[in-house]
Amino acid sequence: MKKIKYILSSFAMLLLVSCHDLEVPVENALTSANFPIRTEHFIQASGPTYTNFRGSIALSYWFLQSLTSDESILPARGGNWYDGARYFQLHQHNWNPDNGQIGGTWNWITGTITTINQNLAVVETAPESPAKQQGLAELKAMRAIAYWVMLDLWGNVPLLTKFGITEKPTTTPRKDIFAFVEKEILEAIPNLSSDVSAATYGRPTKFVGYALLAKLYINAEVYIGQKRYDDVVKMCDNIISSKKYALESNFAKVFDIDNGPQIKETIFAVPFDNISGGQFLARYYLHRAMRAKFEIPFTPSGAISIQEEFLTNFNEPNDVRAKMLLQGKQFLSTGAPIIVKTTKRGFNQDYREADAATPIDYHLELVPKLEYRNLASFDLGNDEKAWAQGFRYAKFFPDKTSTTRNQGNDFPFFRYSDVMLMKAEAIMRGAAATAGDTPLALVNTLRKIRTASELQTLTLDELYAERGREFCNENWRRNDMIRFGKFEGKWGLKTDTDPNKRLFPIPRNILNINPQLTQNPGY
Amino acid sequence: MQKNYPNFKVLFYVLAMTLTSLGVFAQNNITVKGTVISSSGEKLPGVSIALQNSSKGSTTDQDGKFSIEADGKGTLVFSFVGFQTQTVSINGRTQISVSLTETDRTLDEIVVVGYGQQTRKSLTSSISTITAKDLNRGAISDPTQLLQGKVAGLNITKSGDPNGRPSIILRGASTLREGDASQPLFVIDGVVGADLATVAPDDIMAMDVLKDAAATSIYGSRAANGVIIITTNRPKDGQTFASYKSYIASETVSNTIDMMSGDQLRSYLTKNGKSLGPADDTGANTNWQDVVAQRGFSQNHNVSFGGGNKSTNYNASINYFKQDGIIKSSSLDRLIGRLSIEQYALNDKLKMGLTLATTQSNSGIVPFQDVLLINRLRYLPTVSPFNTDGTYYENLARSNYYNPSGIIDNATVTSNSKTFLANFRATLKLPAGFSYDVSATVQNNQTNGTQFYNDYYTTNYNNIAFTTNYTVIGGRNGLAVRNTYENTNTLFENYITYNKAFGKHNVNVIAGYSWQQTLNGDGFQANNTNFPTNDTQANFLGLGNSQAVSGFVVDYGGNNYSKLRLISDYARLNYSYAGKYFIQGSVRRDGSSAFGANNRWGYFPSVSAAWGIDGENFMKNQNVFSELKMRLSYGQTGNSLGFNPLVSLLRYGNVGTFLVNGATLSAIGVVQNPNPDLRWEKTAMSNIGLDFGILKNKITGTLDLYSKTTTDLIWTYDVDPSVYLFRQLTANAGEMSNKGIELTLNYTPVKTQNFTWTTSINMAHNRNILVSLKGEGLQADSLLIAAPNGGGQTGSTVQVLLSGQPVGQFYTFQYAGRNEAGVSQFTSSKGGTTLVPLNKNDYFLAGNAQPKLLLGWNNTIAYKQFDLNFFFRAVLGHQIMNTVRADFNRPQEAGSYNVLVETGDEPIGDFNSFRYSDRYIESGSFLRLDNATLGYTVKTKKNYIKNLRFYLSGNNIFVLTKYKGIDPEVNMGGLTPGVDWTRFGNGFYPKTRTFMFGVNVGF
Repeated sequence: MKKIKYILSSFAMLLLVSCHDLEVPVENALTSANFPIRTEHFIQASGPTYTNFRGSIALSYWFLQSLTSDESILPARGGNWYDGARYFQLHQHNWNPDNGQIGGTWNWITGTITTINQNLAVVETAPESPAKQQGLAELKAMRAIAYWVMLDLWGNVPLLTKFGITEKPTTTPRKDIFAFVEKEILEAIPNLSSDVSAATYGRPTKFVGYALLAKLYINAEVYIGQKRYDDVVKMCDNIISSKKYALESNFAKVFDIDNGPQIKETIFAVPFDNISGGQFLARYYLHRAMRAKFEIPFTPSGAISIQEEFLTNFNEPNDVRAKMLLQGKQFLSTGAPIIVKTTKRGFNQDYREADAATPIDYHLELVPKLEYRNLASFDLGNDEKAWAQGFRYAKFFPDKTSTTRNQGNDFPFFRYSDVMLMKAEAIMRGAAATAGDTPLALVNTLRKIRTASELQTLTLDELYAERGREFCNENWRRNDMIRFGKFEGKWGLKTDTDPNKRLFPIPRNILNINPQLTQNPGY
Repeated sequence: MQKNYPNFKVLFYVLAMTLTSLGVFAQNNITVKGTVISSSGEKLPGVSIALQNSSKGSTTDQDGKFSIEADGKGTLVFSFVGFQTQTVSINGRTQISVSLTETDRTLDEIVVVGYGQQTRKSLTSSISTITAKDLNRGAISDPTQLLQGKVAGLNITKSGDPNGRPSIILRGASTLREGDASQPLFVIDGVVGADLATVAPDDIMAMDVLKDAAATSIYGSRAANGVIIITTNRPKDGQTFASYKSYIASETVSNTIDMMSGDQLRSYLTKNGKSLGPADDTGANTNWQDVVAQRGFSQNHNVSFGGGNKSTNYNASINYFKQDGIIKSSSLDRLIGRLSIEQYALNDKLKMGLTLATTQSNSGIVPFQDVLLINRLRYLPTVSPFNTDGTYYENLARSNYYNPSGIIDNATVTSNSKTFLANFRATLKLPAGFSYDVSATVQNNQTNGTQFYNDYYTTNYNNIAFTTNYTVIGGRNGLAVRNTYENTNTLFENYITYNKAFGKHNVNVIAGYSWQQTLNGDGFQANNTNFPTNDTQANFLGLGNSQAVSGFVVDYGGNNYSKLRLISDYARLNYSYAGKYFIQGSVRRDGSSAFGANNRWGYFPSVSAAWGIDGENFMKNQNVFSELKMRLSYGQTGNSLGFNPLVSLLRYGNVGTFLVNGATLSAIGVVQNPNPDLRWEKTAMSNIGLDFGILKNKITGTLDLYSKTTTDLIWTYDVDPSVYLFRQLTANAGEMSNKGIELTLNYTPVKTQNFTWTTSINMAHNRNILVSLKGEGLQADSLLIAAPNGGGQTGSTVQVLLSGQPVGQFYTFQYAGRNEAGVSQFTSSKGGTTLVPLNKNDYFLAGNAQPKLLLGWNNTIAYKQFDLNFFFRAVLGHQIMNTVRADFNRPQEAGSYNVLVETGDEPIGDFNSFRYSDRYIESGSFLRLDNATLGYTVKTKKNYIKNLRFYLSGNNIFVLTKYKGIDPEVNMGGLTPGVDWTRFGNGFYPKTRTFMFGVNVGF
């Protein structure tokens, strides 16, 4: 009996030794328990909106707006940059729902919208203050901008305005997205700041709201089949009459590595530094032998060039916008020529003479024409000749202060010159002129400061060409081409004329995840 | 004492109270003497004699004589290798002589099981035991490699990287996650989850591989990938021993990729009307694979000793291992010390043990190994490593194209790791067949990493990048990185055992509790740049001046800190009747803090039974089967490793910076979707097994059939960014099944006095199927994975996760020969062929990476004092995507990069030659002579040297395969098995061939 007592007590003790507490304190993370609590948390909590939006603005979004147009081209060179035909498809307008750049852009912008919705939900819980109202308005304006991007690229997209909705969304038609963007930005404007300074740089002000509305209305005929040109003029005048903006006499400074709030032309820019990454355009447009010329810390890959047809827009050599072209024989900053040591065959892989192996010093010379060695694979070949084909456009000047390929040039989204040209275009398309501005005068004001000759007359095509010059590589070409009816034209190797290509397909993996979405017509 | 720890004060009371109950056992000691002989009358030296239920023991001397002090009512146990163990009741006698019978009965061997041991005969589960003599030989640093090919159904692969870890898959993959989540659970001398680094291969006496769920489910949540129990050498009762084991080994690259020589490349280019740029041809013929390779010497020294007396025994060992990698700058040297003491007290009722183990290892790591491994193949062979002025040859115009010698020489990367393990355990014998075990373990691992990239790097290689994530090194005038991280694992276990025989009934019950907390990644990183000299390397971080480098930001490393707590209650019942019928049932209730509050606890039950058919009367009259036993089992295990323990919470982190009022602020955003509903990933396995011996056990074997299903697979996948805050979600999605058959046969064809030949073969077949892929936010039935990202092929994938197909299913373009112009074409999904196949649209299913048969064949031949062992291993019936061959088969790039010799036969105009397609899917089948060892045992005077053996051994002596890559043994773990990567992490570090000479001395 005594033994059994001991045994039983041992068992009882064994149970006592056991502890079943699985609550491990969170010691290394910000979670809902400790964030956001302080005032500055609520400001920081709106930050992901901006970092997300920055993500692809100068990458996949840039590819979709520029490589699908007659502006830029990224051909293959000896198989390099072919990448499953993703760039070839953008050029030829035969992309499919599996194209990586389309998928990447979708993920970027829908991710940005979800982030904004979550940021809004967080900021709404902050204590009441005027700053809170401005913060909410800024986030809503950012969401309107993001939805404008979707409206422009896909048209019919899921509309999500609240965070935490788990049921899968359906497709909202383009006209309703248009109405949403318009309503949201109009509601936001009263609470947005009218201060234009370093304090509001990189975030939406009232004027950013007006510029977005102007952009929305000028495309209204494309987006929803309605002419809203008087509204364009009204929005442009809201900006012009504020006198907070002006054209810069030094055009290159607008895009240089130290551009920022001091640039009077910039209405809204996406700020970049050379640490965080996301903007390394020089990697794409510089020839691989140009590292020394620009004193950059990496060897660029030199794949993207301006299309030959587009060069006709740079018809005046003295125009500061034409001077950004890298063309012809290339020299170092010392004035010495850029020499590539190669052979006759290294220069031209098709050279068949006996002296093919003879070394030559090739003075790098960029030529405008792309000569395809292989049309089927979009391939220029892999010799010095091929790599030097195509003029480059050094608008976002290489960043020699960087220790990596990342650049510090902020990327403008809305500039004052865009407002001027939108006003001119709207008047030409039937809006009533205001404040004595004529389209020709507006365009000539711009041309004068860009050191181009004055025009005597102005047609829509001339205005289109002016936009091409002014906004080259600034994400507007595809949008302009569609509005001016040029997107179904022929350029480069492109022969496709299907107007369905004005909208991109919803990526296949997204349709896999959410079969309730409707694919755009033609895909 | 912290609130969350188990209450040790209470534990003390338990001990104290139970100890007071022990006074009732009095004893009466006498001295027993005697002789032990074999059945043929030979005197047997070295036989262990133990007094049952005590620590007392002795051994026989040269003449087979022994003497032991014992309780006159006690029982003596005589045991000796190769003989049946005999128990003799003393009954007050002082003279006892015993004759031991030789045995081959495998069923008598002791098998270590979870929380105890059993004889093989009583096992109801599938467990393979490999003892020291059958473990692999070679210059092996990782104990799991000792098992490679030795256990049916256990597939182990490892590259030649001395710092690489093997991938281990038992009976097909049970999870889609990699790393810890796919590793078996290791139990070293009873310490659950002990670090393998704390045990030297030389110290291992046996390894038990627990395969089916009946064996593993007592370990519950950590046992989904099987359990490997390691038992180290320890002195037999009353014996002392000392031994020295040593070898030296030489390792070379076993195979290289056939890249063109300088002359081959020149003539290929000339023949095809192309040429090299003058800067790309210095007239050299450089074999870059040789330039970066070295002969790797290894040495290993192991001293171990042990001994004891009636109440104490101890053993200790120290091991030094040094191995140079076959790629310059990679190396490992390691020192392991291990000490174990056992002490009896309270009149032998209490046994206490303490084990201390400490390991210090220093690893030399190849800087930017991925970039180096690519460049040693693609760098032009037509240039010399050095210019005439002694500087490195470079041509930086090509991106990520760096002189392989420069990559190695201008950086130093090291990782020094210290592991300390302390384990205290005690067993208390209680009355009435009860005993109480307690074990407490603390294991601490600290890793210090250093990296130094000198000014040559920061000037010339500052855009060097791992293609996976574009980590550029940044900085100027040298960049130094240091980091230090600590992992601490605290484990407490206690259990009660009840063991009793009632006539023919035998009952064994255990019930226990376990508490474990793992804190990983406790530490930080810092870096600095702009050093006045390269000489101080990363040793003086403060010497740099990063403030002067615009844009430089100190990298403090990621948030690696993670704390996981696992708490378990478990119980097991074993019952046997008449030594013929055995049943076992167990249940473990496991809680893991990694799950949300509602899903933390999981139950992992198992049931199993065995029938010793050979014990039945109807078997008495046959003489075919000398042993026959059938086993049946079913059980469940779980897995909660391999993801962030805070996965149930919404987590925020820095996501970049943004401008507020002109100032730069950290943006704080969501970095993890919350998943409070995450459930246990559960693996259920059923097993039918047969153990048999034929012809007086001349042939013995085991046959197992199993079916394993893993449900609620936990993994991290992409989700719709318009619904989720973060682009990825860790959730339960999908189900996977593995079904297979395993056969092991042992045969002794010859056994005479001077000549013995034993041979054993093991075979395993497994069929893996991904049953479904559905889960939260994932409705697809297929996902494209495995993107090799070769130049010009960004976004192309070569595998698919598809319901109804195995993991490792290839899905890629279908090669359709070349057109008239000599250009590779591919089958189009629209019919016909195409030169420009579209990703996904034109993909076809094309073979898979799952082997159909794993085979190991071991032979041991003993002739007088010579012994010879040779071991073949084969893996058959699977495919490998040879992306290495695809990536270097680029005739169009031959002037800029080197190409394969094979490319010499490709039309120069084939711009499609390198496209990933079924053209590069090759058979991975191989047969390897894994090891051959010839040993000679010197006859010695037993007084001084008990045994002395010399041996010569070779590893990876040859391999027969049609595979064209370096080696068909590519990584078989994780989501994308069977891809021979050019670029990613588990790159193609070459395999090694090893020859070694060793000596073992016993004193």
